[in-house]
Amino acid sequence: MRARIVAALPRLRRFCQAMTGNADDGDDLMQATVERALARSDQFDPQTRLDSWLFRIAQNLHIDAVRRTRRRGAHLPDDELLHVAGEDGRILVENRSELAVAQHALQQLPEDQRAVFVLVVVEGQGYREVAETLGIPIGTVMSRLARARSRIGDVLGRRAVA
Amino acid sequence: MTVTPEQEDRLAAWLDGALPEGEAQAFAMELAANPALRALEQEWRANDRLIADAFAPVAEAPIDPALLRKMGLEPEPAVASSLAANDNQPARWRRFAPWGGAAMAAGIALAVMLGRPAPVDPLSQALDRTPSLASATLPDGRRIEPTLTVRAADGRWCREYRSAGSIALACRNGAGRWTTEGEGAAPAGQPQSSDGIAMASGPEGAALDGAYRRLGASDPVDAGAEARLIGGGWK
Repeated sequence: MRARIVAALPRLRRFCQAMTGNADDGDDLMQATVERALARSDQFDPQTRLDSWLFRIAQNLHIDAVRRTRRRGAHLPDDELLHVAGEDGRILVENRSELAVAQHALQQLPEDQRAVFVLVVVEGQGYREVAETLGIPIGTVMSRLARARSRIGDVLGRRAVA
Repeated sequence: MTVTPEQEDRLAAWLDGALPEGEAQAFAMELAANPALRALEQEWRANDRLIADAFAPVAEAPIDPALLRKMGLEPEPAVASSLAANDNQPARWRRFAPWGGAAMAAGIALAVMLGRPAPVDPLSQALDRTPSLASATLPDGRRIEPTLTVRAADGRWCREYRSAGSIALACRNGAGRWTTEGEGAAPAGQPQSSDGIAMASGPEGAALDGAYRRLGASDPVDAGAEARLIGGGWK
């Protein structure tokens, strides 16, 4: 179990960073996800995919955290993501700002749309897997993706079209 | 022409190859007849690519062993590393590498990185992760020390490394495996391991000149670029 979690960890980390909007909160979420997965490893069905199970745990923990934060009235500073300092050379800065732009676009999505979009577009999961991971009908996966892409199009404009 | 929300739903499924075959054909015809729908298809496709590409390196980055331990996922010591103890660096490196040995400040400990999805051989792992002039010990006890990083004309990244009296040039394929492109005895004057036997090899570095020529290798990259390659999974 531990070895399989370690193998899935890089992708879990990416999912967590995409959901939370930054590396630090993403790693916190990854850590909480692994803790819970290890504590509840008896609940994992070996017939199913471990990565999907981890994504589901992460998504549930993330939604819980977002609800707690909202109740406290805090808000996430989206705009700070775009202020990326960089004196380490051009390539690094370009890479960072691409990630910052991508993060910024994702943060404009409602949580449920973001989860669907990240699982399909970033993690490459199929609609059926996503439906199972998130416990929603396939039709909902499709319509959330359409809403997510439409919103991302509004945020990014046509800047990505070469 | 405009695009209806219902068409947007099907466009999303079309982009992900999730439309059933009959519907996909019908949608292809709608797409051909509707420039606004085509423009939206292009825009969504490009945005998808931008975001997927931006996040790709995140899943390639090493996970700190301390973090693994904190999560109760003890890292196995697959690759141990320490700074090369000697300051007698090969002349080829001195000639090519403009950043100087100071860049490899003392105290660099190579992170033990786990969790890559595809298992690759220990040498490939070490070449993936070890900065030039640091050294890595493979599980079989062999010590290797990368000395420089170049790019082959076909786009592959290649590294020269030393090991027990020999030098070699290896290039990385898309699956993360480093394959040897040239090998020879280390030039005289280079540190030898206890079992290494120095052999006459003409001018320093000449053993690999054929391989460098055949690959159409670029000049070596500087330390910053190499660090980005190591951090970014050699993309």
